[in-house]
Amino acid sequence: MLELRDITAGYDREAPVVRDASLTVARGEAIGLLGPSGCGKSTLARVAALLHRPESGTVLLDGEPVRRWRHRAPRGLRTAVGVVFQQPRLSADPRLRLADLIAEPLRATGRRDEIPQRVAELAPAVGLTRDLLDRRPHEVSDGQLQRACLARALVLRPRWLVCDEMTAMLDASTTAALVAAVEDYRAATGAGLLAVGHDHTLLRRWCDRVLRWQEVTGRIPPATPGLPRTSGPQQPADVPPAGDR
Amino acid sequence: MTDRTPVLSVRGLSVRFLMPAGRRIAAVTDAHFDVAAGECLALIGESGCGKSVLASALLGLLPANAQGAGEARLGDLDLLSADERTLARTVRGRLIGLIPQSPAAHLTPVRTIRSHLEETVRAVSGARGRAAVRAAAERAAERAAFPADHLDHHPHQLSGGLAQRAATALALVGEAPLLLADEPTTGLDRDLVDHTVDELRRHVDDGQRALLMITHDLAAAERIADRVAVMYAGRIVELADAETFFGVAGPRHPYGRGLLQALPDRAFTPIPGMPPALGALPDGCAFAPRCARATDACATLPPSTGGISCHHPHVPEDLRA
Amino acid sequence: MTCESAAEPAWRSYGVRRRSTTAVRLRVSAALVAVTVLAVLLVPPLVRLDQQTVDLGSKLLPPGWAHPFGTDDLGRDLLLRCVYGLRISLLVGVAAALVATVIGTAVGATAGALGGWVDQGVMRVVDTIASVPHLLLGIFIVAMFRPGVWPVVVSVALTHWLSTARIVRAEVLSLRSRPYIDAAVSGGASRWRVAVRHLLPAVLPRAALAAVLMVPHAMWHESALSFLGLGLPTHMASLGNLVQGGRSSLLAGQWWPTLFPGLFIIVPTLAVAGLAGAWRERIDPRRRSELML
Repeated sequence: MLELRDITAGYDREAPVVRDASLTVARGEAIGLLGPSGCGKSTLARVAALLHRPESGTVLLDGEPVRRWRHRAPRGLRTAVGVVFQQPRLSADPRLRLADLIAEPLRATGRRDEIPQRVAELAPAVGLTRDLLDRRPHEVSDGQLQRACLARALVLRPRWLVCDEMTAMLDASTTAALVAAVEDYRAATGAGLLAVGHDHTLLRRWCDRVLRWQEVTGRIPPATPGLPRTSGPQQPADVPPAGDR
Repeated sequence: MTDRTPVLSVRGLSVRFLMPAGRRIAAVTDAHFDVAAGECLALIGESGCGKSVLASALLGLLPANAQGAGEARLGDLDLLSADERTLARTVRGRLIGLIPQSPAAHLTPVRTIRSHLEETVRAVSGARGRAAVRAAAERAAERAAFPADHLDHHPHQLSGGLAQRAATALALVGEAPLLLADEPTTGLDRDLVDHTVDELRRHVDDGQRALLMITHDLAAAERIADRVAVMYAGRIVELADAETFFGVAGPRHPYGRGLLQALPDRAFTPIPGMPPALGALPDGCAFAPRCARATDACATLPPSTGGISCHHPHVPEDLRA
Repeated sequence: MTCESAAEPAWRSYGVRRRSTTAVRLRVSAALVAVTVLAVLLVPPLVRLDQQTVDLGSKLLPPGWAHPFGTDDLGRDLLLRCVYGLRISLLVGVAAALVATVIGTAVGATAGALGGWVDQGVMRVVDTIASVPHLLLGIFIVAMFRPGVWPVVVSVALTHWLSTARIVRAEVLSLRSRPYIDAAVSGGASRWRVAVRHLLPAVLPRAALAAVLMVPHAMWHESALSFLGLGLPTHMASLGNLVQGGRSSLLAGQWWPTLFPGLFIIVPTLAVAGLAGAWRERIDPRRRSELML
């Protein structure tokens, strides 16, 4: 079980982005988390991947509470959760060939001897061909790069997978291919999935259970963007407060 | 609706990039299409298929290592052979209004929306004098449904939807007969996509403008387009009415069919394989290696007949019956 | 609408626009830097003249055929003196820039990568040092040693690593929040591995650029120290020493002993700066306009 209990997190103590969010992903279960952009769901995804220390709340991996985050988290816990982010261009080290990108977690954890075998297994699983593996990120398309990023997330055989808007930048066919690759992996290993996104059609098709942001936090997300903002803080800054005049 | 005289008429448009070591990248090959006033043509395809390059070619914004061929007629002007001076003075803003991807990044952060609009009004219209410019800017904002009380705001104070409207207002100022929207919905939430697309549609429905929308978002294309052009590996492989394309009959080119079948509200099955690199296209049909219908005939380039470039297109139901 | 164009279409090329000024600047700068480097490397071994040869019979001669730059108050050939002076100034400048870049990169990368109180502490120290005028601090450092090349190099390096540290730290901070660093952490990479394998290679081009841009600064700084009589000993006259030496005759209307060494400081430093500027346009992604598919 991957459990998030009453998580409050953000980048500014005064104004946390996520307040009191709770959700649970059981082994083998696929949870979709649906929310508008800017509601804090990416921050919650980073907390779930132990990449961001929450200000309060508990994260439990198979009942074991997480006490340290990022580099300080025990390697075994960190690598138990694989992550894929929205923008492949920003998620890939621009200097690494795709094969090295996929193998990087094996190098980092001192399992070099597994590299040839794992890369050879994963490349076809995510639909990458041999010649693409020798290219660098700027020589491949967004879709191809995202396939490599997914392979990198799977290379250490994580028990959970966190996909943060994994397919938001991609076309329909690549989206379907990546989702199929995730599902094949989950079917083979029984890994849990937390898929974060704003496309309800996609998440409902992909996941066992789809949670709305307000169900997770007990709060209604900020008003749908697109409608004019009229309230207080967005007033032009050069208007002095009434008392100053 | 195709009997109307087209606003933009593209014939045999090709763009290639000359790379170091004599490599050639065929980004767009032999594109043919028209867009008429009051009509929206959606150019769809995955990222890297050449559709953004096509937009750059129409605006004369190709980098120095690009070469172009063919013609793109906008009225009496061929956009591909026009010099930079003509493009800058008469085309951009006046004949083509560009609605950019990520509008917030397209606006100068330190200036208000009003100042953006007034500058554009001064640059592209005959309005002179403070009052006239101000009035014209406010009219432009109104046309794009941008609220007047937000005109003095800076771009970062606007929500995504309002920034999009501000960018649209700017594109509308010059009364351009052609609107070019380049991935206007990327990264937006579904509700906001619908909203943005509906507003764009409104600007076409008055019959004065043509809209060419470049997108990889099939749902957005379905919502807005009259006709659809599907681009694969630099070629337009299918040009069809949106109703037929998204409707019961469906696309006739196997690639278009595959794309629709990949949608999560349809079969959700990907097209096997990946598109070829534009630097190493096969001699024949570029889709053949991924196509279930491919035969030996596909080793030669299919001719374009009835808007389809395929040796074995799907036959519409009514013809089979 | 059948459209088979079997024949190769007529290709048109676009733009040689917005390239020209950069290209000209790049070429002029590169040519000047090349001339400088060649002069400094080749003239001393090829021209077997002693720049120290004193000829009191021909002191303070104006520029002419025998002495293109004229002679100084001891009758020494100024052209030769300038080339030797440039050699020493350049040596000190390059050495100081290298030392400063190594210190600055190490400090900046450590502060940026560790963050937290380490970052706060280190950057406060940097701010404190930066609040003292460079030259004053430089003088203080030189004054602690016997005159020589190394005290000057140390003085210049210790006053110039601050800007590199700031640049590198800012770069590391901006990279640190990239998803690819998150992905590396999630993939089990240690703090050390993230710093050495992912952050450092990404900041090195910036640091190298800062190093090149620093060479002119370092040369100016050295010249200023020498001009004040605190730099190199006079038997290793740098350009600053030469300007200083020419100062006394300037009031008597003899301009050449000041002008030519001055030009030898200004022209090569501008050329190096110009070259670095062109390079920055190349590595700075915001200015890139090449093909993106």
